[in-house]
Amino acid sequence: MPQPSPFESRRAAGSRLEHAFEARDRNQPAASLPRIGIFGNGFPETLVAAAGGVPVHLSMGQLSEKTAIDEIIEPFVDEEVRIFLNRLMNGEFADFLGIVFARDDAPALVAYQYACEWVRQGRAPAAVPPMFLWNLVHATTPAVERFNAIQAEKLFDFLNRIGLNRPDDQAIAEAAAAEGRRRKALERLGASGVSGTVAMRWRNAGRFMTAGEHADLLDAALGEIEGGARGGLRIGVIGSPLLSPASYELFEGFGTIVCDWQPWGAVWPGPGNDKLTLPEILRATAADPSCPRIAPTTAFRTALLDAVTEARCELVLCQLAPTDDTIGWEIPAIASALGERGIAFVNLGFREPDQDTWHERAAALISAKLEARK
Amino acid sequence: MTSTYVPLESTKFATNHQREWAKGLQAQITSGAKYAFVNADTPHELFHYMDVPLVTNQWWSAIIAAKQLSEYYFDYMETLGFHDRLARYSSLPLIAELEGDRERQPWGGLPKPSILCARQSADDHQKIFSLWAERTGAPLFLLSSPAVPDPHPEWWRLARSDWESFYGSDRLDLMVAEFEALVEELEKLTGRPFDHDGFARYMEAINEQERIFEEASEILASAPRSPIRISEQIPNVMIPQWHRGSEWALSHARRFRDELAERVRAGSAVVENERIRMMWIGAGLWFDTSFYSAFEESHGAVFAWSMYLPFAADGYIREIKGDPLRALAARVSAMNEQLHQPPWVNSWLVEQAKKYRIDVALMLIPEHDRFSGHGSLFAKKALEEAGVRVIEVWSDMVDKRQWNRDEMVARVSAVLDAVLAEKGV
Ligand code: SF4
Ligand code: SF4
Repeated sequence: MPQPSPFESRRAAGSRLEHAFEARDRNQPAASLPRIGIFGNGFPETLVAAAGGVPVHLSMGQLSEKTAIDEIIEPFVDEEVRIFLNRLMNGEFADFLGIVFARDDAPALVAYQYACEWVRQGRAPAAVPPMFLWNLVHATTPAVERFNAIQAEKLFDFLNRIGLNRPDDQAIAEAAAAEGRRRKALERLGASGVSGTVAMRWRNAGRFMTAGEHADLLDAALGEIEGGARGGLRIGVIGSPLLSPASYELFEGFGTIVCDWQPWGAVWPGPGNDKLTLPEILRATAADPSCPRIAPTTAFRTALLDAVTEARCELVLCQLAPTDDTIGWEIPAIASALGERGIAFVNLGFREPDQDTWHERAAALISAKLEARK
Repeated sequence: MTSTYVPLESTKFATNHQREWAKGLQAQITSGAKYAFVNADTPHELFHYMDVPLVTNQWWSAIIAAKQLSEYYFDYMETLGFHDRLARYSSLPLIAELEGDRERQPWGGLPKPSILCARQSADDHQKIFSLWAERTGAPLFLLSSPAVPDPHPEWWRLARSDWESFYGSDRLDLMVAEFEALVEELEKLTGRPFDHDGFARYMEAINEQERIFEEASEILASAPRSPIRISEQIPNVMIPQWHRGSEWALSHARRFRDELAERVRAGSAVVENERIRMMWIGAGLWFDTSFYSAFEESHGAVFAWSMYLPFAADGYIREIKGDPLRALAARVSAMNEQLHQPPWVNSWLVEQAKKYRIDVALMLIPEHDRFSGHGSLFAKKALEEAGVRVIEVWSDMVDKRQWNRDEMVARVSAVLDAVLAEKGV
């Protein structure tokens, strides 16, 4: 059989990433290991990998069909929670061994509580897998460190109960090494000159496979290309979780996204993932400044401003989910700090249910800003 | 009926005390005393016990609102670039601070607090308080708030003495460690040491006060007809709760309980011919309190329940077990979660509705304060399954600017008509 040319294998890896992104949690990872669902940022996926599972994020899927639980979901609940709960009660996650929810990610706590209550009331189908609340606190005091260590033990008990291994030091170090390879591959992705839209898809594809597979696919897809800055206005994206390639493409009509600092952007995988020991993983995860609940609270804004400054952004775009009640508190201070640094800022406001309407408004706001800066 | 309703003596005592206390606090603070600015769900006990004057965010917000300033500040909030779906009432004091014109504010504005304190229960509390800290330079003390992963529905039964396993040792250890750090701050602030034995006695006094309120709640629940309006229930509980554990608060709780008992003994009732009992779920309707009595004449319907009285017992009584700080952690560590998260909120409301023989519930659902809104529809469903009719009132309807009393009266009346028809009246 003829060997595929380097170009073909690059293309194949790229389309594997594209496919995984499109398929989301329905993607079939190369490794046929038990799958563990994850809801929310702030959970070090390394720990599931170390237990012998594949961590797969469940908060990014599409709604297929509403179920009875929909009636108790208030309109102010985040859309990803509504979709998840309906899918969960539809039995769509029956093939998962368990689901881990990250308490400090606001939608995840609500998803966990509503799901548990529906189960407790006996209204859920049997296909709902066991659920676990990852209670990690985002602070760095000794008392918090002790507390977080206990949460890791509880996690291990849970993973063990559902049939995985209890991770030992070596398994953790191996899983962390795979995360380390992934981190390097993602750094290459960032520097490769692919568009921000592609980077967003290829990065998030990794939420549906092992870190090792993700690293391999990224390495293969990037091939030998070394660097190559893309021209145009340097754009940063901040605000609520955003996963729409169409919105990215719209933004990139004005330049290149060089800094994606929203919850579904480059803040994932978290800083704890590639640390080699459990205490280091916990400490780094707890200090992740991209968590809106980090203490001290100023760490969030400082990290955001550092990120867009280091990426030499010329324009920062902020977009909000219609249910935002947190990031909105940061916007005026971010706006004025960016102003002081000479970086243009456009607050695009709430995303609207009708994508065309929202894109039209977003484009008009960006154009007006750029026009005014001429 | 309505026209013959005689207000309680206790209400006058309570509101007078509160007025005097507020005057005293104002004098203290405006003359430069060190004080703390804290959120409602923080351990006020520690500040009180250390004699650090306290201004509570939600209370100060109500004072600003009472000066008719909310709209001005809400508009100002938008000019600063804060969007209109952010929590409003819990941020009114912050916005006033950012606006900066002290003359406009009550008391000529608040001086810089010596310490700020918030619990990270709702996701936005820490944001609001850290903006305050940035603005004033006051140190911010945050209490963390991991969730209870396996919440038993009957919290009111378990949390009083089985609190160790109910709230979880890991969570309590963490909260106690944070209290200890806070106490250290307060010791530095006041130059006085924290006396554990004295604190245990103070905590016992609070438990005693809450047990009196529990008796008051039993009296109300079991009275054949409701003897007082909720517009009187609320201040007679809330005011002593601000001052919980003080001599005045205990004696007021007794006065209130005894006055209720006396009314029941005398057979007095808000409505002679009481036909429908209602519960008011959510914060008070402070700008139109007469709405609470709007259905007495027309339907023989009385609001018999509001959360403040029964929550005084269920939310506060925590056996001391020789460890007052840990008992306080048990009180604080899921304080408002119990009112706003499933399964706690739905189970408790059903329990209360049964106890108070409720026919109809008016449920306020805040849309722009998600923390307080979560679980509302679970609660609605549970109440309906327990045979209570539920009227949803979304927050924009109780926004003073959009409040349409006639419309609301019509909506409620239609439900009450149906209940009466069902009861064959
Ligand atoms: S108990 Fe009441 S009166 Fe006494 S210090 Fe506290 S707030 Fe002031
Ligand atoms: S509504 Fe809930 S969270 Fe808000 S002040 Fe009242 S009890 Fe606390």
